[in-house]
Amino acid sequence: MNLGNLDSLTFFYPELILLGGILLVVISDIALKGLRNRVNPLLTLAALLLALFCTLQTDHGSAMTLFEGMLALDNFALFFKVFLLVAGILVLLGSLHSEELASVHRGEFHALLLAVTLGMLLMANSAHLVMLYLSLELVSLTSYIMVGYLRSDRLSNEASMKYILFGAVSTGAMLYGFSLLYGMTGSLDLFAIRDALLAQEVVGFNQVTLLLVVVLTTAGFGFKTAAVPFHFWCPDVYTGAPTPVTAFLSVAPKAAGFAILVRFFLSGLSQPAGEQWRFISGVDWPLVLIVVSVLTMTLGNIAALTQNNLKRMLAYSSIAHAGYILMGAVLLTGSGLKAMLVYLFVYLFMNLGAFFVVTVIFNSEKTFELQDYNGMFRRSPFLAIAMSIFLLSLIGIPPFAGFLGKLYIFGAVIDQGLYWFAVVGALNAAVAAFYYMRIMKHMILENDDRPPTPLRISTLNRALLILLLVPNIVLIVFWAPIDRWTANSITLFGGL
Amino acid sequence: MSVTDVVFILTAVVTVGSAVVVVVSRSLIYSVFSLLFTFFGVAVLYVFLGADFLAGAQVLIYVGGILVLLLFGVMLTHRLYNLNLTTERFQPIAGTLIAAAVFVSISLAAFKTKWKLVGDRELEPTTQQIGEAFLSSYLLPFEIASVLLLVALIGAAMLVRRRTDV
Repeated sequence: MNLGNLDSLTFFYPELILLGGILLVVISDIALKGLRNRVNPLLTLAALLLALFCTLQTDHGSAMTLFEGMLALDNFALFFKVFLLVAGILVLLGSLHSEELASVHRGEFHALLLAVTLGMLLMANSAHLVMLYLSLELVSLTSYIMVGYLRSDRLSNEASMKYILFGAVSTGAMLYGFSLLYGMTGSLDLFAIRDALLAQEVVGFNQVTLLLVVVLTTAGFGFKTAAVPFHFWCPDVYTGAPTPVTAFLSVAPKAAGFAILVRFFLSGLSQPAGEQWRFISGVDWPLVLIVVSVLTMTLGNIAALTQNNLKRMLAYSSIAHAGYILMGAVLLTGSGLKAMLVYLFVYLFMNLGAFFVVTVIFNSEKTFELQDYNGMFRRSPFLAIAMSIFLLSLIGIPPFAGFLGKLYIFGAVIDQGLYWFAVVGALNAAVAAFYYMRIMKHMILENDDRPPTPLRISTLNRALLILLLVPNIVLIVFWAPIDRWTANSITLFGGL
Repeated sequence: MSVTDVVFILTAVVTVGSAVVVVVSRSLIYSVFSLLFTFFGVAVLYVFLGADFLAGAQVLIYVGGILVLLLFGVMLTHRLYNLNLTTERFQPIAGTLIAAAVFVSISLAAFKTKWKLVGDRELEPTTQQIGEAFLSSYLLPFEIASVLLLVALIGAAMLVRRRTDV
């Protein structure tokens, strides 16, 4: 079903609420001089919660397209919308008591957070190349500003500059790919592109050109998901950006990037066939992405081994995780896609948690160096144990949620008979264990001579840490709802 | 060779040639001024494609707006000439190889692909079609583009804020 502009508004409440939130925050920032520091976070939180509520209430029946085919509304998009809004809420709460952001004016930060969330929701929905590019650009532009938010900090400025330069180049490459695709099919609508490609049967040199399209567009999506070889910006940007922004970048735009990648490749360049998809003959895009996935996890993990700055180490770790997540997307099966969604969902809590501990420690210690984490267990057992749980989860050790993600991903890969791919992933997980354990070793086993002064954590931060810990611990027991939810969420418009 | 072909080749040479100057020139002023020719060349290419409104917008916005802003920006920097704009790591061999590979693959794709062609069309004004598309099938992108501009404005306001005004 295709809805026109007016009818579509009924299914557009979350986005409209966010848009209203942006405007309200901008106005209250000017109008309420004295109260704005209290009102703005509440307004932002209210907008995000209301949008989440509306998203959960959305009952769209079967999959359809909105706004004359610009957006696709299906369970897949709804999963990502819920995911992104939850990520937005958690990051907002995590940024409230951050010393890094305390010294700067906060008003715009909230407006930008709402804007980037709006952009990501649209990314998850886009079914049209124009909309896809525009939402990607909205997210990128807002991220550049958020990364450079600490204006008097040289590292923050450098990070923003690098992000813009890499972003411009990779988006340019992606647009070139889109233009080639348009030239071959005469359409910008993903489903029309697929129909055109199927109708003309891609033969001869068109196969080569379509592979070029795959490589070029992967540059754009790879930039957003920080996949090798488009990851060069990632360590510097993650190190320079304020930590709450880093936490946000490592989860939300990455997930939105995967949503857009899956939709582009599955809806545009493949056709559904029973329980799975087939790529358009002669254009083996999964092979390109398998190579990217292997490179991404291997390089990310190996580079993380030698890092001594926590933010930098977690940056490389998030690159490696992009590799694991990509494993699910290239399988072209329902179970692969489901595994990817499960992995993303647990990754949200474990990665945000790890970054959040880094934020809390920076608040009182003003440092990101691993050396300075020595003796943290004696100073704040709670923090050290919380960090250990997040790290064990990131490794994928059984009692914690991360294991669930790895189990689904490797299971789906083995189902497809790609044993070597699963082995590469498992070896990588073993390498990753080394540097995650290194953080734990510094926090728990190594002590320096100073007397252990207790570390102060604000009540809000403590509550948020517990909130992030709960899913990491209980998901392994209560995995059935997640299993059902993700199994429902693999329905894409125009396929399966 | 018809007159159209000659004009097209001239435009293409000017566009690409001035774009090369933008990249290799050691003076920012030269770069910005040769960008003028690149922008104009692109506008003429739009005319060749029958996109009259786009060509006009290209001249108005890029030449009239962005280029003038760039010139102001360049005039306000203190080192205009003899800039060394190369990066610290200079890798001539790998760079050449990759550039050559990209050039060959893109040119081959341009010439050998079977494009979906619409054939010759009458030149007719496109403004009405663009306007209708903006208010019908492209309404959402049109509106989201304004959100994008709003974000850009907020970012610009943040950048120029005085340090004391927290």
